[in-house]
Amino acid sequence: MTESLIELDDIGKFYGNIIALQGVTTSVNAGEVTCVLGDNGAGKSTFIKILAGVHQHDAGDFRFEGESVKFSSPREALDKGIAAVYQDLAMVPLMSVWRNFFLGAEPSKGVWPLRWVDKKKASETAKAEMAKMGIDIRDTEQPVGTLSGGERQSVAIARAVHFGAKVLILDEPTSALGVRQSGVVLKYILAAAERGLGVIFITHNPAHAYPVGDRFLILNRGKSLGNFAKSEITQAELTQKMSGGAELEQLQHELAQATNK
Amino acid sequence: MTDSVAETEIAVVVDEADAAAIAAETEATAVAGADERLAYQGVFQRLLIRPEVGAIIGAVAIWAFFWAVANTFGVATGFGSILDGAAPLGIMAVAVSLLMIGGEFDLSAGAATGTFGIITILLVKDVGELGGAGLSLHIAIPLSLVVALGMGYANGTVVEKTGLPSFIVTLATFFVYRGFKLGFSKLIIDNISVGRIDEGQGRGYDFWRPIFDGVWARNDPLLESRDALWLLGWLIGGSLIAIAIYEMNFRRAQKQNPIGAFVMLAGIVGAAATIWYMHNFDGRTENTLASALLLVAALAGFGGLALWRYERQKIGSTLFTNETLTWTLAGVASIAIGILIAGALDMEAQQSVLALVDALAWPLVLAGGALGVFMAYRSVAGFEDQQTAIRSVVTMVALGAASAFGVYGFMFMTTEQGLRAILLGAFVIGGLIVLAIAAYKAGRVSPAARFLVLTATSLMGLWLAWFVQGQSRSVKFRTEAFSVILLAAAMVFVWGAVSMFFATRHEDDPVAARLSGQAAKLGVAIVGVGMLTRLLFTTEAEQALGRTNPVNFRMSVLWFIGFAVFATWLLGSTKFGSWIFAVGGNKQAARQIGVPAARTKTQLFMIVGVAAWLVGLLLAFRLNTLQSGTGNGLEFEYIIAAVVGGTLLTGGYGSAFGAAIGAIIMSMSKLGIPASQWNSDWRFAFLGTILLLAVIANNFIKTKAEAAGP
Repeated sequence: MTESLIELDDIGKFYGNIIALQGVTTSVNAGEVTCVLGDNGAGKSTFIKILAGVHQHDAGDFRFEGESVKFSSPREALDKGIAAVYQDLAMVPLMSVWRNFFLGAEPSKGVWPLRWVDKKKASETAKAEMAKMGIDIRDTEQPVGTLSGGERQSVAIARAVHFGAKVLILDEPTSALGVRQSGVVLKYILAAAERGLGVIFITHNPAHAYPVGDRFLILNRGKSLGNFAKSEITQAELTQKMSGGAELEQLQHELAQATNK
Repeated sequence: MTDSVAETEIAVVVDEADAAAIAAETEATAVAGADERLAYQGVFQRLLIRPEVGAIIGAVAIWAFFWAVANTFGVATGFGSILDGAAPLGIMAVAVSLLMIGGEFDLSAGAATGTFGIITILLVKDVGELGGAGLSLHIAIPLSLVVALGMGYANGTVVEKTGLPSFIVTLATFFVYRGFKLGFSKLIIDNISVGRIDEGQGRGYDFWRPIFDGVWARNDPLLESRDALWLLGWLIGGSLIAIAIYEMNFRRAQKQNPIGAFVMLAGIVGAAATIWYMHNFDGRTENTLASALLLVAALAGFGGLALWRYERQKIGSTLFTNETLTWTLAGVASIAIGILIAGALDMEAQQSVLALVDALAWPLVLAGGALGVFMAYRSVAGFEDQQTAIRSVVTMVALGAASAFGVYGFMFMTTEQGLRAILLGAFVIGGLIVLAIAAYKAGRVSPAARFLVLTATSLMGLWLAWFVQGQSRSVKFRTEAFSVILLAAAMVFVWGAVSMFFATRHEDDPVAARLSGQAAKLGVAIVGVGMLTRLLFTTEAEQALGRTNPVNFRMSVLWFIGFAVFATWLLGSTKFGSWIFAVGGNKQAARQIGVPAARTKTQLFMIVGVAAWLVGLLLAFRLNTLQSGTGNGLEFEYIIAAVVGGTLLTGGYGSAFGAAIGAIIMSMSKLGIPASQWNSDWRFAFLGTILLLAVIANNFIKTKAEAAGP
């Protein structure tokens, strides 16, 4: 379980003279969750886009299963087994669960030109895959729009897992959810890791990251503030580092002064 | 500094406590499986959010309405010509609905039909100084198809490459088509009416004509066993539908009761015997006797089935509460008032009522306006805040104007027969709705109370049936509607009686859901085949009586049905269908996940092109000569038909089958308004109203389907 799927060594990305990301080092192991924490504008999106093949890194080394890679398109990353689940989940709200699940890769039967989608198989597979994530979809015909935010997230995760993802990148899966739904999603993240996937969990909430993460990468203003294994850091330290440590203290100090007056 | 650390720590502790609670609850939810907030959804509710259901209900209602009002709107004749009229519109509406579900519009679709027809004619027309290319139809038809595909491809590619709204791109194509049609017609044959396709005689005309304009007359095919087949269809199909309804509603018993099976068999045998008796003996007493026997047999059959398989329940002793009594009486009164008014309005009375409406029209208009002003004044004088006051003024003035317009429009549109149908229909439908509410409320009091309400409903139906038979001026309506209403009344009674004794199912049961779904589909299909048999075949006895309707089913109808079925299959069962929904519903997501969005949309434009080509040829063979303006401006009718059929203007949701029904509704209004002797100038007002109602209904359905609860 400690085989490294992804290793990043001193990765950097520049847009002209803007340094979007610099000196980022971390690793993703199969069956483990690597959390990427950072405030807004910390470079989290750039980080995901490099991994998912939307952008290419300009510096450093990106190794996937031991090989140096530079993806030219999301398709290429997907073919290798790196699947990104973005915040908008890439779902069509008015379409049924199973249609969303198999969108773009529908199982077919029949002879061309009379080929049709094997609805029964698709529906059953979708239900089974969701069950493996520990969620019971009562009716795979119901539109995705009628599912709750957490359930929708789980459909997206289950879909990525089913289509052979080795590494799952989750972009702020809990940010739009309530407390309970967030808990549900965290459970799916653990479920995915237990099934042997490497999970990259991007979030700005240390309370969500710490319980599930095995490794933490903290970004601030495009720079890495450190890459820690769980044993090396406590949640308090994590929170402290993430919120920009010294800056926050300064702010609190000023606020305290203001209120004392 | 120490403060801040302490605070963070507290925050962390809270978070951890939260996390533990979350974990526990999550566990519980996962174990429990089903979400307790999801209420049981019966098959009916699930059906109701299908996009085409509204259109089907609307089509049946409009059909029944015109049928009651106009004599020429009978089962067989009307059906043939309604479908024939709907065919060109329907083929296009189906194609346009696919495109709209894919999130695009094609404003050139109307002009395109004429264009491809004219191109074919020009290619076929004899060579001469002002002649065509003189090609064989075997070449001209595929050639125009290639042009159609190319134009669709061009539309799609321009929309996709430029990213411009398809609205504007195809508007441009529309004008190009218009110009080319006129320009080429005048340039090549110096005439704006382009004919004739039958100059292709000897060059494939005889081969292609039956394909695009063949006629199939109903009078030829004799089928002596037609009525038997028809009845058998109803019997088997009806039983399947009954099983579906039972499975949907009743809880299955732990142990089956074999006595029930015997009772059911006895009922079926009794029904068959009674039908045979009715068939062979005709007369007032015999018919009454047979009807009574049939009712008993139906009770035995349906009751037996329920007794055999489903769980019993207590019928309860409370029969009425004040509330249910009030609702029931209101419903009964409404139907009674409708029947009495319609009965009292003889020809003269109706004329005087109409004269009264005529005389009162302007006062009513003024009264509507005055009411608006009064309400506005009240809301201003009520010292509400300014914005609310302004809003009320605007609303009330609009309401006043609308009511005035409504009164005036009604006065223009209506005739004596229409007035009666409208009054009767309004009171009866209103009464039925009130009675349905009463039955629902009574059902919560006790099953027996519900049975009483349904019995009252059934009795009112009985009265209505007899009234219609005696009063309607449309002969066909009189005879056929009589039996339909009578049957419906009997079914309500039987259902009330049976459902009183058996337990209603409130929980989800996938097995029952699947079984009822399959039984319902099969049942409807068998009944449909039975009805088609009745419609398409004739018997010798009927011919001897001279009651054969010279219905002509044209090839266009077959193309229409074929295309609608194909599109429904494409949309519902294929990969491409999923992609259509996806690119219309969320193009970004579709693309992210690997759907070839641009290609899908371009192919949709090409499908519209093929449909326009088909319609162009149907028109060319039917009319022989096309005007250069053929098809111009019809694109909005296609869009209306698609929207009436449940397709969303914003894309991502809809139904090809619904669009076909939408086209049938429009065709019915086209034929029905003149047939009921209304001023057909008002057809568009009628269409507009239907469109508005359809859009409101669609919007409601979409909100239901999209409602998310994180």
